[in-house]
Amino acid sequence: MALVLPPNVTEKAFQQALDAFAGVVGKEWVLATDEDRETYLDAYAPGDAKDHVAGAAVGPQSAEEVQAIVRIANERKIPLWPISRGKNLGYGGCAPRMSGTVVLDLTRMNRIHEVNEQFGYCVIEPGVGFFDLYNYLQANKIPLWMSVPANAWGSVAGNALERGYGYTPYGNNTNNICGMEIVLANGEMIRTGTGAMSNSPSWHLFKYGFGPSWDQVFVQSNYGVVTKMGLWLMPEPEATLGLSMQLPNPDDIGWAIDALRPLRLNGVLAQDPSLGNSIRVVTVQAQRSQFYQGDGAMPDDVLMALLKKYNLGWWGVNLRLYGYDEINEVNARLIKEAFAKYTKQEFAVSKWHKGEPLDNSGAGVPTVAPLQAVNWRGGRGGHIGFSPVLPSSSEHVLKQFHSTKKRFEEVGLDYFGSFTLSERYVTNVNLMLYDQDDPVMMERVRKLFRVLVEDAQKEGYSEYRTHLSYMDEVAHTFDYNNHALLRLNETVKDALDPNGILAPGKQGIWPKALREKRA
Amino acid sequence: MSAGKRKAWLRVAIAAFAAVLVLVAGASRSSGDSTPDIEKGKTLFHAKCGYCHLAGGTGTMMLGFRLGKDKSLLENRTDLSATYIEKVARSGIGSMPRLTRIEVPDSELKLIAAYLTRPASARENAK
Repeated sequence: MALVLPPNVTEKAFQQALDAFAGVVGKEWVLATDEDRETYLDAYAPGDAKDHVAGAAVGPQSAEEVQAIVRIANERKIPLWPISRGKNLGYGGCAPRMSGTVVLDLTRMNRIHEVNEQFGYCVIEPGVGFFDLYNYLQANKIPLWMSVPANAWGSVAGNALERGYGYTPYGNNTNNICGMEIVLANGEMIRTGTGAMSNSPSWHLFKYGFGPSWDQVFVQSNYGVVTKMGLWLMPEPEATLGLSMQLPNPDDIGWAIDALRPLRLNGVLAQDPSLGNSIRVVTVQAQRSQFYQGDGAMPDDVLMALLKKYNLGWWGVNLRLYGYDEINEVNARLIKEAFAKYTKQEFAVSKWHKGEPLDNSGAGVPTVAPLQAVNWRGGRGGHIGFSPVLPSSSEHVLKQFHSTKKRFEEVGLDYFGSFTLSERYVTNVNLMLYDQDDPVMMERVRKLFRVLVEDAQKEGYSEYRTHLSYMDEVAHTFDYNNHALLRLNETVKDALDPNGILAPGKQGIWPKALREKRA
Repeated sequence: MSAGKRKAWLRVAIAAFAAVLVLVAGASRSSGDSTPDIEKGKTLFHAKCGYCHLAGGTGTMMLGFRLGKDKSLLENRTDLSATYIEKVARSGIGSMPRLTRIEVPDSELKLIAAYLTRPASARENAK
């Protein structure tokens, strides 16, 4: 991959900046060969991966090195794209939004500074992966559980900063952030919350401090580089109780959400369950060509035969109660009673008690297994997700489900959807699985994504997270008062980062000098 | 995920965990026919590639689909060359993403390739 320069930077100035970076981290950790640039391409690009080419990459090992790099970049107006471990697969991976940007790869910053069992938190650097933290907790026999997303190859801090989800009561990962250390665009280091005091014992206990609370301002934004994060971890429960059921009909998703909503809202159910259609299960175990080789979406009769083969319903419901046996039993009874109003089916029940192996405990055990789904269509597989947030009622869920399924079928893709139920909303993740080497399929995927954005906007549904190529489009749907929020975001951007060096274009937020780059 | 699947992934996690423990300890045990470098390569393979390429891993499953089960576990393959392994790591293949030189520096990749292409005399541990 030949060199692509950042806007308004000469090759000579770019090389001089790389030399200056090497002076900070050592030549070994400045990556600027053609092959290096290829390794930072989006592995699952829905369009041309060359739309998001890194100019180079630099890998610091400490916050002090990050400060030095950012100062050099600010002085020379070299854009940086911070990544934690670069495994944000389906959203752009390790690639930058704007070609020519230098990836600030924080993989080497992988220290676990503290795990506090008494108060249930850890303090980690961005390069700490889910497997790293899990291994640390296991090796030190620390009875704290993690919240782990479907693809656990990536960074714990990075996932929380992108608002990723896990499946335990601590599953809304960004909610668990408490106190961060951040390098600003001018190289200055700040600490949020009570970390702004030089001697606070409560930095990772109390989120807010005094005055404005900044942690969430640095989530999904481009205002600073997070170099250290406090993250709450869940005390290991005494027991868990699992309830599983296969729902046979497509429209069952409506009543299931209605039955669960009040129990999620009042806390009987403390985790965010993800109710997915059964294709989600099959894609991890098989390839599409084993069942269907025709063009277009898989016909209903083929789908039903497939579900029968795997003993699956249309939707899978997997709930988990965490706490004490007696309380779990009462809560399980309440859930069973709620479902009995709609179905004669009974839940399959599983139980786990502290001290038993973690298999089927509901603990967050890292795995990369669900990534197998990208192999569904064969070839050079990939995926992106379209994930709007909507109210957790059957009225919204059924309308969105039917509308989205129809859109998938119009372009000949198999519908793959799930509804993750939080207290007051659902996150509807729709996964598009494709073969990147099939240009016809890829054109259909892009068409589908754009029409889904338009459909959602008509209903007032926002995406919670999106791929690099669609950040501007999704940001544009936040249109109240002539995009007043985006204008605020960019006012803040220009104030904190006047030279526009940190992640230009992320989440549709462009610095003043580069706003013509907006799609 | 079924209990069986969960167990398989737990095994992957535990194997990777064991690998990291050895890595953290900086151990380079020499055992039987293995040279210290091959042991280092094994440790690195488990730590950096084991997410997907141990038993039950997604890479193992994909290779099983594409090449058959007998070629699905990289540790057991005898038909790979170091050059090919290094090329695949940097270029990606199928749905496997490329690995950067920050995630796996060249020096580590060479040790991993040396482990995966180790002579028959050093293979007893992986069987």
